[in-house]
Amino acid sequence: MLNRLLRAAPYIVLQLAAMYFYQLAGHIEYPATPGRIGPDFWPKSILVLLGGVCIYEIIKNLLIGETFTAAGLLEKLMKDSGANEGEEKLRSYPMLLVGGILLTVVYVATIDKLGFFLATIAYLALFMVIGRYRRWGVIAISSVLGSLALVFIFMKVVYVSLPLGTEPFSAVSLWLLAIMGVH
Amino acid sequence: MEALIHLGNGFLQVLQPANLLVLFIGLVLGMLVAVLPGLTLVMGVVLALPFTYTMELLPAIILLTAMYVSGTYGGAFTAILFRIPGEPIDVPLLWDGYTMGRKGQPAKALGWTLFAALGGGLITTTVMVLASAPVATFALTFSSPEYFAIIIFGLTSVVSLGGGSITNAAISLMLGLMIATVGVDSIYGAERFAFGVPFLQDGIEYLLVMVGAYGLGEVFTRLEKGFAGDGTPADTDRSISTEFPTLAEMLKLKMTFLRSSLVGIIVGIIPGAGATVASFVAYGVEGQYGKRGKELGTGIAEGIVAPQTAATSSVGGAMIPLLTMGIPGSGATAIILGAFLLHGMQPGPQVFVTSGPFVYAVFASIFLGIIGMCILGFFAIKPLVKVLELPEAVVSAFVVLFCFIGAFAARNNLSDLYVITGFGILGYLFEKFSFPIAPMVLGVILGPLAESSFMTMMVSNGNDWTVLMGRPVSATVMVMAVVALVYPIQRQLRERTRRNGTKQ
Repeated sequence: MLNRLLRAAPYIVLQLAAMYFYQLAGHIEYPATPGRIGPDFWPKSILVLLGGVCIYEIIKNLLIGETFTAAGLLEKLMKDSGANEGEEKLRSYPMLLVGGILLTVVYVATIDKLGFFLATIAYLALFMVIGRYRRWGVIAISSVLGSLALVFIFMKVVYVSLPLGTEPFSAVSLWLLAIMGVH
Repeated sequence: MEALIHLGNGFLQVLQPANLLVLFIGLVLGMLVAVLPGLTLVMGVVLALPFTYTMELLPAIILLTAMYVSGTYGGAFTAILFRIPGEPIDVPLLWDGYTMGRKGQPAKALGWTLFAALGGGLITTTVMVLASAPVATFALTFSSPEYFAIIIFGLTSVVSLGGGSITNAAISLMLGLMIATVGVDSIYGAERFAFGVPFLQDGIEYLLVMVGAYGLGEVFTRLEKGFAGDGTPADTDRSISTEFPTLAEMLKLKMTFLRSSLVGIIVGIIPGAGATVASFVAYGVEGQYGKRGKELGTGIAEGIVAPQTAATSSVGGAMIPLLTMGIPGSGATAIILGAFLLHGMQPGPQVFVTSGPFVYAVFASIFLGIIGMCILGFFAIKPLVKVLELPEAVVSAFVVLFCFIGAFAARNNLSDLYVITGFGILGYLFEKFSFPIAPMVLGVILGPLAESSFMTMMVSNGNDWTVLMGRPVSATVMVMAVVALVYPIQRQLRERTRRNGTKQ
């Protein structure tokens, strides 16, 4: 039963979300014209279809316990060819994933304060470490030179205004830009 | 004749030094992403998109199409030499290409690949040049029902031809269509699902969905599996060369070549199929109709020529609906469409009327791109396969950064970084629970077009949707859409019933 529930879980979540958004769509405000469909019609139609497919999957997985699934052509071709064989046997490192996601969120949250250059050096180095890479020299050089190269390409060549950070970190960014001749 | 004159002018434009340089860079990048561990062709094109923001439209499209073309070829090297398919497109090359290499003829296998990519590419480009203008002229007669039907056909074929189960692909598509509804609706100006949040009121940019789901999502997925520590172990120092097949050998395979080119072009035109499906289908067709079909898998040339010809041919096929109707046929063409839209140009039936010279310049760039790709493949194969030695963790860290810069550069808005991180996590969850990403991305891109055609059709016809079945083109396309969705399900159910019957 637990297996069935786990298989059905994504569809249950999606079904609940579809119901919630359907209810929200009912409250979209617009100047209604008699005899014309409103801006709620399109999203509601999609949500009804989405809900229908989810209910089918929930019944199939949870109540009947059926595992048959019609596959898309590409999926079938890959399966028949055995191209994906062995992928399931690969080891899984959920903690690396959690670490990687957390690091990414922290990077996004701090880039405005630290500035692109400093935040990126830290991010590159830590991401490589989380990714189980242990050549410390390569990590140090590639993160520093990589950040420098990105700042140069995007601020000097492509003209993208990357975040400079706030005091005292912005002083580093400004010093760097002055050296590169970016005004 | 007029087309030839336009094409000639197109060549002159592309041959300008700046455009040639962009073409060269695109070809190299396309080959690199096809070879690099952890990078796919679609991801590569996504990552290149931000570099095109400040470019003119022509070099921007040249860069992305060059990457698309060469990305269908670059992965062949590693598949044949090291049994590492750079892309799913290259999986069929393992069976005969790698086997031929193991038999002591890797140079010959590489020669056959080059011949197939060059020939398939030139044929498909010729077909693209000849067919696009008439298709666009025909499409000029379309109104909202036809457009709506074509988009529905495109979306259903993405569901039935792509990866993952059909129901999961349908869910992915519907999520994409829903994401496209966020923000202020274009007809009534009503706010939908924005929760009063300013950046949601502007709508969710499809670029953020693409970069997040394809780029970050893939990195997270590979991170969970643990990156390959120190680059992929492969003997990249060995002697590598390419040996062309003789004219007599080529002529022997003319039917394989023509069959596979046709398969590639047709599969390319069908929205949602793309180079991988073309490559597999061509291999299957060769097995069924080829003179030596039964010998496939033993290292024969037909097993190399069929998939590679079809993969490269699919590029021209996919460009036809993109340029003439604004409907992308694959993940890569969806991104190229994104580049058009970012530069304020909407491809479609009017494109030959409003921007004819531009379109022919794109055609010319694909011609030159195919020739350039083969020259590069011949001379630069050794340094290209060297990138296999790059550690995946280092490559992936930079991929994430390019994703962020790409997303940030579009609107200079830090909130967008949270959005792409969110879509990165969603992309990972999609991989985890076997939901394909392509239908969602196409749903986000085609959603607004689908909704506006639908609303126009309903308003013009008094809310009568049966008008779809009352017009010959829309009725035919709607029937095709239903068949595209129902036929594979019905066939697989029949197969299962037969298998169960045999077991009993």
